[in-house]
Amino acid sequence: MAVVAAAAGWLLRLRAAGAEGHWRRLPGAGLARGFLHPAATVEDAAQRRQVAHFTFQPDPEPREYALETQSPLPRNFEMGQTQKMNLFQSVTSALDNSLAKDPTAVIFGEDVAFGGVFRCTVGLRDKYGKDRVFNTPLCEQGIVGFGIGIAVTGATAIAEIQFADYIFPAFDQIVNEAAKYRYRSGDLFNCGSLTIRSPWGCVGHGALYHSQSPEAFFAHCPGIKVVIPRSPFQAKGLLLSCIEDKNPCIFFEPKILYRAAAEEVPIEPYNIPLSQAEVIQEGSDVTLVAWGTQVHVIREVASMAKEKLGVSCEVIDLRTIIPWDVDTICKSVIKTGRLLISHEAPLTGGFASEISSTVQEECFLNLEAPISRVCGYDTPFPHIFEPFYIPDKWKCYDALRKMINY
Amino acid sequence: MAVAIAAARVWRLNRGLSQAALLLLRQPGARGLARSHPPRQQQQFSSLDDKPQFPGASAEFIDKLEFIQPNVISGIPIYRVMDRQGQIINPSEDPHLPKEKVLKLYKSMTLLNTMDRILYESQRQGRISFYMTNYGEEGTHVGSAAALDNTDLVFGQYREAGVLMYRDYPLELFMAQCYGNISDLGKGRQMPVHYGCKERHFVTISSPLATQIPQAARGPGYGIMSIRVDGNDVFAVYNATKEARRRAVAENQPFLIEAMTYRIGHHSTSDDSSAYRSVDEVNYWDKQDHPISRLRHYLLSQGWWDEEQEKAWRKQSRRKVMEAFEQAERKPKPNPNLLFSDVYQEMPAQLRKQQESLARHLQTYGEHYPLDHFDK
Repeated sequence: MAVVAAAAGWLLRLRAAGAEGHWRRLPGAGLARGFLHPAATVEDAAQRRQVAHFTFQPDPEPREYALETQSPLPRNFEMGQTQKMNLFQSVTSALDNSLAKDPTAVIFGEDVAFGGVFRCTVGLRDKYGKDRVFNTPLCEQGIVGFGIGIAVTGATAIAEIQFADYIFPAFDQIVNEAAKYRYRSGDLFNCGSLTIRSPWGCVGHGALYHSQSPEAFFAHCPGIKVVIPRSPFQAKGLLLSCIEDKNPCIFFEPKILYRAAAEEVPIEPYNIPLSQAEVIQEGSDVTLVAWGTQVHVIREVASMAKEKLGVSCEVIDLRTIIPWDVDTICKSVIKTGRLLISHEAPLTGGFASEISSTVQEECFLNLEAPISRVCGYDTPFPHIFEPFYIPDKWKCYDALRKMINY
Repeated sequence: MAVAIAAARVWRLNRGLSQAALLLLRQPGARGLARSHPPRQQQQFSSLDDKPQFPGASAEFIDKLEFIQPNVISGIPIYRVMDRQGQIINPSEDPHLPKEKVLKLYKSMTLLNTMDRILYESQRQGRISFYMTNYGEEGTHVGSAAALDNTDLVFGQYREAGVLMYRDYPLELFMAQCYGNISDLGKGRQMPVHYGCKERHFVTISSPLATQIPQAARGPGYGIMSIRVDGNDVFAVYNATKEARRRAVAENQPFLIEAMTYRIGHHSTSDDSSAYRSVDEVNYWDKQDHPISRLRHYLLSQGWWDEEQEKAWRKQSRRKVMEAFEQAERKPKPNPNLLFSDVYQEMPAQLRKQQESLARHLQTYGEHYPLDHFDK
């Protein structure tokens, strides 16, 4: 319940004058008119909420993109009819497509019935019925356990964990059951039709329990796939691939992008391949690798590097954390000789360590400088200190500069 | 303790406001669980009503300060059909199973018992690495299996081999799994007794007990229809399972059966239970209240079994087990490449590299590995 309160809190933005009126209409509010001053009258600018640490950059029209050689989409990929969608809408669209074409597909989790705390499942219960879109009790172990059970019987199970921070009670089910189901039964049984979706990553004010990026915990678990999109277009294609993949998948959705990221997304279903990283910008001097929200940070860092240092950066979105695309990263590092990896999750044991370790094994003699990791600090995710905690563009830029001058 | 959010209305995103206030509605009485039976009647809200108004609470107020003792609530009664001597207590509860079915129940339990004895011994002799017996609990396995359809999917914990035995899982495959040999459907990946069979709708056993802790005392607390039965009474288990299955399917709700029984054997071959329980207690259950002997008494009283048949069956079942055992022991183990498959449906590139590196390693260092016992 505290979770729902927090989600509601996240969505309450008291900047418009009209917001006061809403407060007054709450039963028992009893607050004097003008109790809450609209933010516009607050004198101290420093008190204003922080602006985002990134700028969402949509990809160029995917149709053009599809024609470039680096693209994972087939050369004749037809976008078809598109609609401007933000990240949560692109997720809804993917789920809608799934439930339409797969009669066994069901969606479940806390609060999904009314549309979800991030509106990802709006309209689906009305459209597909209460037998296919339904709430569960507040019990992550049960949500995933139940999902495994129905996946074993052959249904397509799409489970939602309300925040990635709450996935830990389900950790045993994911690691000891879902991931090992096929292997331990000698391929007699599997829960490949299970997909777990969960909001992920920093959001400006999420603090310890609404900001985590737990991909590293799951990277250590053979048998599952972990996927993180950077944009609405990527999200829909990757989520559909996860749902159709014959292995249990965890799909982390950067919550800060739910509304901040919007672009043209095809209405019809399409797939983006898993375990394929994407070079979203070619370059020759440094390789920058990230996933999720952080891709937009490093893209900006690439611009800064070009402008201030005349350095050409190759920017790669990893997309699938496990099994990860070693070849694309190594191919890039062999070309550039320098690698910077960045993620919000804490430095120690973060997924950058895995990439770094593998790359130095495979590309040792190509490296011109030590591999750089720009990550969160080894602390829980703080509240008021978030602007200092996150691996923002200045930290990435500084690390890049040091690498160039090594 | 649930913290209910006292919100009055859901606000739709208002286009006029760039940032909307979205308050989440919590309807009284609706727990959000998908149920296909009719929702509970909601109480009419009235401020004059002195009953508690907490959503979902059906209790009364009390003005006396009293703590609830954990044990003061009387135990849930245990349903049984036969007494300890195998005699039917209440004839109307006798399921009147036909002779072949009762004999099948009996032979499943006794064959399992024989297999347990031989495999337990084989572990003691170092021939298999680990084993868990089913002594004392056989009644719960076969009674429930007999009441289910053969196509009902069974998720076991780790001591339910009797279900497989009842479903005619061949001795060869039990042994293959324990030996991890080339015939093991599980491809040699798990410790002994982690059986599975897709054809017989028995999901492969796993070791962790995550969500398999039956707590009938909390069944009612969870809001689940529950019953407690004498697990050593095959007919009681049968009746309860049959009825629970019928109603679960008809009413689309879960049923919890707590089958009371007693584990006569040690937990596993790694355990010596005399460290934590008395030998007298174990003997009581073995001699005075055992599912196999209770059913045997029933068979004898029906004239469906006698001492001669008992002797012959013991000899035959022992011979069958020994044959399967010796064959299983002679078979080779699966090819070490099967270490790497089925992690995913398709083998990832990195894993294939690891598989190749093991193959290269064995080319140089193979003499230090028991390759002779493994399939080439």
